[in-house]
Amino acid sequence: MSNTFAINVEHVTRIEGHGNIVLDVKKGKIEKLQWQISEAPRFFEAMLQGRNYDELRSITSRICGICSIGHSLASLKATEDALGIKITEQTQKLRRLAINAENMQSHILHVGYLAAPDLFGVGSVFPLVGTKNTDALLKIVKLHRLSNEMSDLVCGRTVHPIRLVVGGFSAIPTERQLRNLRDRLEEEIKTTKEVADVVKSVAGNLPDFTRETEYIGLTSDKEYALYDGIIASTDTGKHLDYRDYKSIIEEYIVPQSTAKYAKHARESYMVGALARFNLNSKQLHPIAKEVANMFGLKPINYNPFMNTVAQLVEFVHNIEDSIILIDQLLDDGVDDEKPVKAEVKAGRGVGIIEAPRGILVHDYTLNDDGICEKANCIIPTNQNHANIQKDMEEFVPQIIDKPEKEIELNLEMLVRAYDPCISCSTHYLDVKFA
Amino acid sequence: MKLRVAFFDFASCEGCQLQIANLEEEILDLIEIVEVVSFREIMKEHSDEYDIAIIEGSIMRPMDEKRLRDIRSRAKTLIALGACATTGGINKMRNQRSVEDVKEEVYGSDKITKDNEFFNVFQTKAVDEVVPVDYYIHGCPISRDEFKRVITALALGKKPVIPTYPVCVECKKNENVCLFELGKFCLGPITRAGCNAICPTNGSVCEGCRGILKKPQVECVMDILERYNLTYEEMKRRSTMFNMSAFSAKDEMTMVGGSKDE
Amino acid sequence: MTRSKVIKVIVKKDLDSFANNLIKDETHEVIGVKAKGEKFVFAPLENADELRLDYDVTILPPKKYFLPQYEKMMGFNLDKPFDVKESDAEKPRIIIGIHPYDIIALQQTDKLYLDSQKDDFYEKRRDNTIIIGVDIQNVSDRSFAASMKTNVTDSGFDLMLTNLGKDYAITVGSEKGKKLLEKYAKTKDATKSDIKKIQKVREDIASLYKKKVKIDKEKWSSVLVANYNHGIWGARSDRCMGCGSCTMVCPTCFCYDVEDEVSLNLKDGTRTRTWDSCLLRDFTKIGSGEVFRDDIKERYRHRFYRKGNYLPERYGFVACVGCGRCGVACLPDIADPCDVLNDLSHFEKSDDTDRFFIKQETKAIEGGTIHVPKAATIRRMEKLTENETLFEIELDDSKPIGHKPGQFVEISIFGIGEAPISVSSAPSESSSFEIVVRKVGNVTSKLFTMEPGDKLGIRGPFGNGFDVKTLEKKHLLFATGGIGMVPTRSLINHVLDKKNRGKFEDVTILYGCKRPCEILFMDEIKKWEKIDNVNCILTVDTCEEEENWDGDVGLITTLFTKIDLDKFDSKNTIAIVVGPPIMYKFVIKSLETMGISEENILVSLERRMKCGVGKCGHCQINGVYVCKEGPVFNYSQIKNLPEAFE
Repeated sequence: MSNTFAINVEHVTRIEGHGNIVLDVKKGKIEKLQWQISEAPRFFEAMLQGRNYDELRSITSRICGICSIGHSLASLKATEDALGIKITEQTQKLRRLAINAENMQSHILHVGYLAAPDLFGVGSVFPLVGTKNTDALLKIVKLHRLSNEMSDLVCGRTVHPIRLVVGGFSAIPTERQLRNLRDRLEEEIKTTKEVADVVKSVAGNLPDFTRETEYIGLTSDKEYALYDGIIASTDTGKHLDYRDYKSIIEEYIVPQSTAKYAKHARESYMVGALARFNLNSKQLHPIAKEVANMFGLKPINYNPFMNTVAQLVEFVHNIEDSIILIDQLLDDGVDDEKPVKAEVKAGRGVGIIEAPRGILVHDYTLNDDGICEKANCIIPTNQNHANIQKDMEEFVPQIIDKPEKEIELNLEMLVRAYDPCISCSTHYLDVKFA
Repeated sequence: MKLRVAFFDFASCEGCQLQIANLEEEILDLIEIVEVVSFREIMKEHSDEYDIAIIEGSIMRPMDEKRLRDIRSRAKTLIALGACATTGGINKMRNQRSVEDVKEEVYGSDKITKDNEFFNVFQTKAVDEVVPVDYYIHGCPISRDEFKRVITALALGKKPVIPTYPVCVECKKNENVCLFELGKFCLGPITRAGCNAICPTNGSVCEGCRGILKKPQVECVMDILERYNLTYEEMKRRSTMFNMSAFSAKDEMTMVGGSKDE
Repeated sequence: MTRSKVIKVIVKKDLDSFANNLIKDETHEVIGVKAKGEKFVFAPLENADELRLDYDVTILPPKKYFLPQYEKMMGFNLDKPFDVKESDAEKPRIIIGIHPYDIIALQQTDKLYLDSQKDDFYEKRRDNTIIIGVDIQNVSDRSFAASMKTNVTDSGFDLMLTNLGKDYAITVGSEKGKKLLEKYAKTKDATKSDIKKIQKVREDIASLYKKKVKIDKEKWSSVLVANYNHGIWGARSDRCMGCGSCTMVCPTCFCYDVEDEVSLNLKDGTRTRTWDSCLLRDFTKIGSGEVFRDDIKERYRHRFYRKGNYLPERYGFVACVGCGRCGVACLPDIADPCDVLNDLSHFEKSDDTDRFFIKQETKAIEGGTIHVPKAATIRRMEKLTENETLFEIELDDSKPIGHKPGQFVEISIFGIGEAPISVSSAPSESSSFEIVVRKVGNVTSKLFTMEPGDKLGIRGPFGNGFDVKTLEKKHLLFATGGIGMVPTRSLINHVLDKKNRGKFEDVTILYGCKRPCEILFMDEIKKWEKIDNVNCILTVDTCEEEENWDGDVGLITTLFTKIDLDKFDSKNTIAIVVGPPIMYKFVIKSLETMGISEENILVSLERRMKCGVGKCGHCQINGVYVCKEGPVFNYSQIKNLPEAFE
């Protein structure tokens, strides 16, 4: 075929942050294909330097609105690691509830508001109102509300959490509140299954595209790792020293992006729900496994579009997991405990968690006064940009004969499937001591 | 005819737009009373004709200024959404240092940044430092309740009422134990209310994200520091997270963020 | 104790059972004093174990159960705004553990809220609450209740508990309390020795207090009057951040604000009442943006005078019970009245400042609450000038509003709010009345978009109006500026009405506006001129060629020279002055030059009138409520009233 056309999507919609898709085809040959990041740099690195250890989580939370709980938790883990603070069992459980809540909120937002419209053939969720799909929309909204109310309860607020502080929590939910939450989570498992059915009914619209890829994420013997774990790769297995994350995550710069790229065993790799599924699906809770089976999702799945389905599976897992956590908390009795006091001293700490979009690292060096002198962050979406580029390079030839509009939509859907968080990804923090 | 509303974002974390998605079922009420013609984060559709422009984020580059001025010329009403837009928010922390300094810190040699439009930044500006703002919705993030109050007020044809009094009023109504009594430095007494004192109510100090109302007298501050055994350094530190412009400029500073006729 | 009360004694564990029995009874919500961290609060009680009767002071006083921080006064639906929904009935309450000073504070609140224009929301809560007080066992180091004599009380409670060591005494204060004990408590009668013990415990409480105020509360009023301009107000208020904490935690602060909130569907809404504070700058702000107590020094001082001078003059009690909460809450520690009065204690001599005599009688509101507006319809609208429009309004029940000239109504538009507007038509049998509205704020702007047939709400009429009887047999000299013609017209039309004309002597009307296009009611003025012994002289500040003005040009004071002083009987003339604030000083000087005495000058003053019934506190000029004692004032009474003519 000898088609010549150009696709230029400036500021892709329904993703967090600003990115462009550029495709130039001349007589059926790809002249230029780029996933470009044009996000404004905010220079967070210049802002963390000289700040007290107890302010870092407030500042880094503002890197991203959707994964602010994730940033806060990674920040706190790094700070506590640097100061040698050991948090209580109760705090461990509450933080796991927090990370579950954020995962749920982020995933259902993506599945329902950002990705699903493409599967329904509409521009946003709003046109679904007043159609036969109104019910499905309301169910999605209900689940989103549940996730947010859970965040509000555990963290004080879902965007830029308040209760997460160094050493623990500034306020603890009461047993009655946790019991109410547990009842609601139990109730909404049914709604979740109904939403899964609806997604299944349009899942056929997901392109059937695969490319062998390396997947990287946290892994743990105890649980499907989100809050704690060690880094693992589908290519090279477990990597035991968490402080040595740089040996796995190699960042490099490319001219078309204000954000860095990353690689490990291949030219690129993927992080996020699909990566976690591919590494740890055996540890999913039962109903989550059922949902995975419903979609025929089995490890290792190399179709990036299935990331959205993996998110749905994780959503179910998070609900089941939260119920278990709350039961444990209630059994032990909830203590109105104060955060563990910090003994201010110099040190370096690394905090790694799985944010909704993938592995997130905060690395701080504090001086004797507890002031931050050096900081580094590896953002999930950073690590996906290279993979998006590589996927596009393999995908476009497969769809090059389709109508232009369809190619454009497919490329957008590819980007959306990764659920990128671009504001985050331009904010790798690499501060040198002044 | 319904008012046409468009959302725009500049340098921000998009948390304030997320707060609007967090209206849950009420977002369906929202699209009943106004026509949302542009909202990049959750909608593909876009129109260049709108009555109300809602701006999230700070302005950092000439290209952003240009885009903002264009939006201002099209909209009858412009609302600054969230601290990054209303006061510059946390983005202004870097204004302590020169632009050359921070660029070098982050990008090292200017191989990539030189002559590249994307990196051509100046000192962070709030939206009203570039174009006139009609209404301010403060906070980092915004309060959903306050957003609803402003939108319903505009839909009903009345001027929204934004508090001009400090957070202490709401904190005391919630019967919180004052954080000063627990040895912490809270910016509540000089920060604009409207958030229902959400941070102190959750046991955490107010960080002044809604903009401080008035710099208190020095004697007052010293009295308080002494009474509660706090240090001047801590006070200065806390105050410069969200209100850098208040403390880096000359001494006679009044309000951070908000219209002059308050 | 003057009246002998029934006194019982109860063993400690039976007191716990009593509390638990009350909790089990589902008909009441039980509130008790509980710990919150290191502090104490009144909160719902789940178990008697939580009760901390040994507390020193709570963060917030029990006023939150009678005047809630946020109260839904009424619900409305904008499709049918006058199907006002009353807020849901609250469960009756039993509050356990109120200290005597807080009980006294509630009794003071009663005097304000249960007067002739009583607040039935407050009344209902008072009636539905059973008060179980407790004698003080521990004292906060900021409290000075003993020197305020509020550390013990023998009234205001249904039951009063006193810790006698192994057991508690329970003094019965009402039938309700007696029945409660009979139903739920295992008690025995107090013996003589028990009663002696109670007396001793109560006497000993005073010795727990470290903080004392040096001036007896009976003298607070005169000390404050003598020191209105003392340097202490500026010195202390320099440190004031205007944070409002002192008023929020105070048991005798009860000013409030009202706002309409509408949900996103633009249909459902509530009218909400919330605590307000005179320390906040916008407390006295009116629609046009003017703020009457702008300086923090004035606001800071106002609070002490309200508690120590204005309320005592009005009701006979000092509105401070020495609980010490403001001393704890104020970060720069300047709010404590004990400290302030102690600082002033060597300035006791009372000045001979003329105080405004505050009359108490106000007509009780007939039928319905003071808060719910009556439905009315706009019958006619007439644009008078660029900025002013006349509205003719009729109540839906077709009754006349029964107003006096000079009174005002609160125009209520659900979803937007309320605004005080003077009534412009003369009192009449007619069921409709007229107002003139200038577009300045939300409500007035909304009115301008409405049409005949649209509905709105009316509360009132409020204010004292002109006492027409005192004007009979007198010559009347009106000095009116600008929009002051609106309320003045009501009086003029009443006086010049055929039925009434004979009761009054000569009428002179001096009317000045900025420009000819701003003159109101020109047609009526022409008619007035034709009436016997009526003289109208108009002037404008400036005018352009095109405006075709052939009357006087100059300030209103220039018109006084046009009055023939030989024929002028100054001793029998009453002057009525209504206009912008700046006008008063000059006009009154002119009047005095003409020989009119101060007692014969009436003025009308504007402030932020909100509730209309002297409760929300916004309209105060010093201790005077403009909505009750005004807006019409006799000049001789208020000429020295601070804040009146600034």
